[in-house]
Amino acid sequence: MTVTTEMRVTAPEQAVAPAALEVEGVSVTFPTKSREIDAVRDVSFGIAAGKTLVLLGESGSGKSVTSRAIMRLYGRSARITGAVQLAGRSLFDLDERAMRKLRGAEIAMVPQDPTAALDPLRRVGAQIVEVLRTHDIEKSRSGAKARALDLLASVGIPDPARVLRSYPHELSGGMRQRAMIAVAIACEPSVLVADEPTTALDVTVQAQVLELFAELQERMGMAMLMVTHDVGVARDIADDVAVMYAGRIVEFGTANDVLGSPRHPYTMGLLGAVPSHTVARGALLAIPGRPPAAGEPLPAGCAFSPRCPHAVSECRDEVPALLQVATDRASACPVVNGGWDRWDHGDEGAARQAAT
Amino acid sequence: MLKFFLRRLLAIIPIVFGVIVVVFLTLKLIPGDPASALLGASATPSQRKQLIADLGLNRSIFVQFWNWFLAVLQGDLGHSILRQQPVGPMVMDAFWNTMILAVGASVIAIVGGLVIGGASALWPRTLFGRACNWIATGSVSTPQYSIGLGLIVIFAVNWEILPASGMYSSTGPQNFWDLLQHLILPAIAAGLAPMGIVARVFRSSLDDVMRADFVESYRARGAPSRKVLTHAAHNTMPALLTISGLQFGYLISGVVFVETIFSWPGLGLLIYNSIAQRDYPVIEGGVLILAVALVLINVLVDTAHAAIDPRVRPA
Amino acid sequence: MSRIDVTTADIDIFDAPVTGTEREDFEAEAHEPAPRGHGLRGFLRRVWTLPSGVKIGGSIVGFFVLVAVFAPVLAPYGPQEGELADRLQGVGTAGHLLGTDGQGRDLLSRLIWGARPSLTAGILPVLFAALIGTSLGLVAGLGHRRTHGLIMRTLDVVYAFPAVLLAISIAAALGVGVTNVIIALSIVLVAPIARVVETEVIQVRGADFMDAARASGAGAVVTASKQVVPNILPTLVVYCTSLIGLAIVYAAGLSFLGLGVAPPNPEWGAILNDLRQNLYDEPMLALVPAAVIFIASVGFNVLGDGLRELLNVKEMA
Repeated sequence: MTVTTEMRVTAPEQAVAPAALEVEGVSVTFPTKSREIDAVRDVSFGIAAGKTLVLLGESGSGKSVTSRAIMRLYGRSARITGAVQLAGRSLFDLDERAMRKLRGAEIAMVPQDPTAALDPLRRVGAQIVEVLRTHDIEKSRSGAKARALDLLASVGIPDPARVLRSYPHELSGGMRQRAMIAVAIACEPSVLVADEPTTALDVTVQAQVLELFAELQERMGMAMLMVTHDVGVARDIADDVAVMYAGRIVEFGTANDVLGSPRHPYTMGLLGAVPSHTVARGALLAIPGRPPAAGEPLPAGCAFSPRCPHAVSECRDEVPALLQVATDRASACPVVNGGWDRWDHGDEGAARQAAT
Repeated sequence: MLKFFLRRLLAIIPIVFGVIVVVFLTLKLIPGDPASALLGASATPSQRKQLIADLGLNRSIFVQFWNWFLAVLQGDLGHSILRQQPVGPMVMDAFWNTMILAVGASVIAIVGGLVIGGASALWPRTLFGRACNWIATGSVSTPQYSIGLGLIVIFAVNWEILPASGMYSSTGPQNFWDLLQHLILPAIAAGLAPMGIVARVFRSSLDDVMRADFVESYRARGAPSRKVLTHAAHNTMPALLTISGLQFGYLISGVVFVETIFSWPGLGLLIYNSIAQRDYPVIEGGVLILAVALVLINVLVDTAHAAIDPRVRPA
Repeated sequence: MSRIDVTTADIDIFDAPVTGTEREDFEAEAHEPAPRGHGLRGFLRRVWTLPSGVKIGGSIVGFFVLVAVFAPVLAPYGPQEGELADRLQGVGTAGHLLGTDGQGRDLLSRLIWGARPSLTAGILPVLFAALIGTSLGLVAGLGHRRTHGLIMRTLDVVYAFPAVLLAISIAAALGVGVTNVIIALSIVLVAPIARVVETEVIQVRGADFMDAARASGAGAVVTASKQVVPNILPTLVVYCTSLIGLAIVYAAGLSFLGLGVAPPNPEWGAILNDLRQNLYDEPMLALVPAAVIFIASVGFNVLGDGLRELLNVKEMA
């Protein structure tokens, strides 16, 4: 286990192919009346076309906030820094009008709860037609309608004509999510952001929807950013995994690496396994305590340290930087990666600079 | 939608029947008997007896109810004791006048309520938004007679720019313009309190809707903000319709006060005068007509609700 | 691609279920910790952090209640005291701060004395109606389907009458007097309170802890008093507070129409009706009782709003 402290973390794909979506040092702060809440801190990653990155973490880890910040959905309610490149365009430099034209066309979103995300008072067909006409994919109403039928068929809806005429409440949860996916891919976006797209669904339907995502990705070649708390979903669909805790990425790597041999105690806890060199192989460990709630002040040093079985005194003094620990792998834990003395001390700025 | 409407119409039959029963019972419970009221103090006992027999008041209460019920179904609401004319046409004339006032008040309540509620929902931190919020809170509590007298003092007594009583001028042309001038003050007085309620419901409902996932979803699909706002407003309609059904009763309540203050020749004034004159058939006829009208208006509101919200339509 | 051993169940070890979207957690205002402290300072600090509606509305309501209680001390004149020679003096006259009415009686004194019947006729009907309406709502919400149907359909009939019209009819039948106003308004207010309680009870009935209570074999009465009532109480308190504001307006309105408190007695609505006769001579005088009724009503409504915020009750139509 060697730690190459001189190398700083970079997104693994960056070297291979130009990323469809490039996120660089994004931080999100919500100013509230009493104090500022740092929801996301210095998050960087890239996704190549045709690839899937999973943001894995619990509720409150900042993974959903990250996905919304990328699409600039917060408006003035959040302060966002950093940079996002979408197919060569810097999203944070666009004016709202230009950004609006990209939303739904170049970067589209599949919501967590399709029941809440469809307008309950309008027919499914009308909502699809509206997207197509907003982005000038189809000028005429009849053309858009025909196109909507094709879309519904392409997401595996057996009787598209009926669904087109249906109101959201008349459909099953799985059908609603398929309809939402049809809305999302209507303009053939290059990036698809899916926020817990299977959480609200039955287990059997979950698998079908995940399969649909894989199928669509193969056909359309889009990059996918999927947010989930479900390790099973990550295993199913991820090419790369970024594990988030308390607003930061704590581990990054290919799905096989991160989920196969985690190199951060938090990931280990998520997977329900403990590292072999401290406890007998196969023993399960429940992580004590709970993650910091939204807006709660974070513990000093590594935010995970109060719950971490490996924490040493340095962990409570200093926030460990996310550093490259192997080829295409990064971790923010010095302890399980060779110790603090081999870590690049506290120079987060340098790490970020290297990434941009 | 027609089927829905007809089904709702059938469903109100028991309610209307209940209303008729209640009105009949109140008529019976009122102290003093109508025969004495009809004949005056100078009547002899034999005259009284004769009249009681004529009116059927010596029959059992069930027979009396049945006769009254049949008469009501045929549109016969009895005779005014004081004016010696049938109650039906008298009450209907007054009813339409009341509806004119109610429609005027509704326009003020709805337009004002949407503007004030919308402003306080969309710009809650600005001075304008806060002011609208306070106007909404204040107008909910406004007693219709207080605001009515206030308006008379300002516009009719001090400035003398608007008439303070009646529906039409006694001199000059009695046209639509004249009616409108007479309508303004009473409509404001009757519409202010419902306006506050519309404003509050619109504000809280728009607030909820703007936080809903589907609004974010619309934005994530690239819909222009004007469109997003239209869809959000569309989604406040069910809540608004639900209260407007309830609030119409409240509005009619206010209209009773307003009509007496502004001498508006509607049902409120007619009932008020009839109470002073102990003209019970007129009181009961008026109350009956208003109650039935309220029930019917609620059916219309329900139908509109179903037209807008597919979730409440029967499968 | 295959589904593997590790699924959501493994996440449960964190005891942090994913609820709703994270966005809401972050956008929610961070809650201030409740102020602590003992004695007067601690009390003042707690009062200071109450919602502004409670502070403002509570002050207005408290003011009127104090005025009613201490009317004999506060009123400069008796309620019927006055010389015809002093009649219709304007607002701001020396010796008569708010002027005098058509019989030369001091308006300020009459309004202070009038606080007693006016507040009583606003508060008592709501209390009576709350008792009856809550019982009806509980029986309807917890009872058999047929009981529910019978109660609710009967209330539908009562609801068909415009409230003021119903109150006027009842008051007209009963005759003048504060007691009759209270009776009339109590009857009118039963239906709306019963409806609100019924809606709440049905919501509470669906909650998990009710199943637990039933499973533990608790009887209907015990369930109602121990489980249901505490859960619907916040909604009931908020609704009734606002309803007092409305009842004050209605009670004064009945007297204004000459159906409530009889003329010589001081009551806000009766005073207003009296001064209305002199509207063209001394218009400002009539506005004084009009404003008093308005402010009292606003006070209860604002207090209701503040309590809604404090007790976290959702806005209803």
